[in-house]
Amino acid sequence: MQLLALVQSITGESDESLADRFEGVSRKHIIATVLTTLTGLFYLSPLWGGISTAFKTKSAFINTVPLAPPPAGEITIQPWVVAWQTLEPALWNSLIITIPAMIFSAVLGSIAAYGLTMVDWRGQVALMSAFIAAIFLPKQGILLPLSRFWNTVNIQGILESLGYFTLPFAHESHATLLTLIITHSAYGISICTLLFRGYYLTIDDELIEAARIDGADMYATYWHIILPLSYPMFMVVFIFQFTQIYNEFLYALILVGGSDPSNGAPITLALAELNSGFSQNWNNQMAGAFITAIPTIIVYVLFGEQFAEGVKY
Amino acid sequence: MANLTFDNVTKTFQDESGEIVAVEELDMEIRDGEFLVIVGPSGCGKTTSLRMIAGLETITEGDIRLDGTSIRGTGPQDRDIAMVFQSYALYPHMTVRENMSFGLKQSTDFSDEKIHDTVTEIGEMLGIPELLDRKPAELSGGQQQRVALGRAIVRDPKVFLMDEPLSNLDAKLRAEMRTELQRLQEELGTTTIYVTHDQTEAMTMSDRIAILNDGELQQIGTPLECYYEPNNQFVAGFIGEPSMNFIRCTRDGNVLSTPDFDYELSQSTADTLGSQTELTLGIRPEDVEVVRNPAEPNDVAVEVDVIEPFGKENNLHLAPKTRNADDTVVATIGARTKVEPDSTIGMRFPEEHLYLFDGEDGTAVRHPTAEQEELAPVLK
Repeated sequence: MQLLALVQSITGESDESLADRFEGVSRKHIIATVLTTLTGLFYLSPLWGGISTAFKTKSAFINTVPLAPPPAGEITIQPWVVAWQTLEPALWNSLIITIPAMIFSAVLGSIAAYGLTMVDWRGQVALMSAFIAAIFLPKQGILLPLSRFWNTVNIQGILESLGYFTLPFAHESHATLLTLIITHSAYGISICTLLFRGYYLTIDDELIEAARIDGADMYATYWHIILPLSYPMFMVVFIFQFTQIYNEFLYALILVGGSDPSNGAPITLALAELNSGFSQNWNNQMAGAFITAIPTIIVYVLFGEQFAEGVKY
Repeated sequence: MANLTFDNVTKTFQDESGEIVAVEELDMEIRDGEFLVIVGPSGCGKTTSLRMIAGLETITEGDIRLDGTSIRGTGPQDRDIAMVFQSYALYPHMTVRENMSFGLKQSTDFSDEKIHDTVTEIGEMLGIPELLDRKPAELSGGQQQRVALGRAIVRDPKVFLMDEPLSNLDAKLRAEMRTELQRLQEELGTTTIYVTHDQTEAMTMSDRIAILNDGELQQIGTPLECYYEPNNQFVAGFIGEPSMNFIRCTRDGNVLSTPDFDYELSQSTADTLGSQTELTLGIRPEDVEVVRNPAEPNDVAVEVDVIEPFGKENNLHLAPKTRNADDTVVATIGARTKVEPDSTIGMRFPEEHLYLFDGEDGTAVRHPTAEQEELAPVLK
């Protein structure tokens, strides 16, 4: 008995305290579960409200609260059809802009980061500072110079003089799309460079030195060593840039000048068009919002694992 | 196959606090086919010297010549050298075969078949043919080490440079690789420069050792030369394990006075010494004799402070009874000699094993006389 008391005094535990602790843990557990559930429901409610509204007829969304499920007999997929018809051409525009711009900005960012991190030359600190400063340039601040720039540089004229518009698949809107691709590529380079630079700084210098001694010059080192090792970072940058460029609104608004997909308007502008007007068709708008979100969701699902791998470094 | 010459090479780095001299006026000649080990404490300039040969650091002053041709200013890719790095620096995304082929692809115009055959051959020579299709991450440290060696050997360069290649291995593997490296180098006959801070590696592997301290060459010579005829106190203390004992003393005629005891030199030894009075007495632990009682004139009564048993031998830390100096004298004795801790015994420095160094600059004044005769029968 004395021995038991001794053990308990040493370990600081007794039968009662063990029971207390168990109870304490489970009470904490219950509170945590309830709070998590409530928070989860709170965050999911707009999503649910959106989905439920997107399947309601006009009278249903007027007569029921958004969170209520569609009443029987008033379920319809008509809003999805309307939204898809409005958004589909703009969705293709968006992808035509986003995918090349995402690749260009990532590749150029990676090359710039390599040159600024792993190759020694004078003035690289100053240039890197310029890249960093560019990250903090507010978009609104460069809207005016940007539109002036594209007024001066006549992409339409350049394409025409190259004979592009005689090609069978050529379309007037391609000049605008190209303008947006170049703009987004250029704007994305600075942040991509920073992301790649952070990654390259973690690569062992001896690896680069080994390549130099093996006879590889600067370009061969990039192509054979750095580029393959950048794979996880490319996944991070791709996801990041895809989301940034796909969701972008302001540059598109200024450079397209309208929400007509046949003029090159991306999906963000078309969605805004769907949301404007005198009568608010909430069901169409909600369906449109979900359609717009689908590509980014696909990208996250497809590349999420590599993304996690890339941010782990 | 090549010889390599350091001609008055200096390397300085710029720092916020000013100029740091990493290597100072280094003159050294590495012979064709030689295995030279550059050894020294951290920051002595040994790695910088190696990197200057590789072309990874510029040469501030002086010149390095490979087969009589200056390589100053040329890029690493134009030097025909191969290097094994401390971290191995294997390309993680490539298989072992690709790692070993990369250098040949970049620096030669060999056909793919020839590269394939060469890599296979070297893989077999190193005993790693079954690893050629694996990635470095799937290999153990010892295997990665072999691949790193293979990547250098495949190139068949004029010079191998090795920067502490064994320091990431455990003790047993290190000893194995030491022997293997020696064997390989003898087989290939390629001039090799090997940098390490480990004097055991330097002693066991090298044809000659170059000892650097504070960017200056202290001595270059065979392991035995450096061991028995060190140029100065630094070399004497650096080479040998456990380190040589040093005791500061003042000379008055034939008598060396240390804080704890006097040591009387024979007339013949005293005659060979110059006029310096401030000296440092040096004696290697294995040359310190231990006797039951101090009986002869130069014997010193000491207390056994610490006993370090090594199995085959014991290291005794002996403290003179008078205890005026803080340092103890280390003596290595056979494991079967029974010594009690804290007992009082006698310590004897045989004169033929005595080293003497200048008390000011550490230059060797006297080397032991015994070794030549003792070694002769063994060397025959």
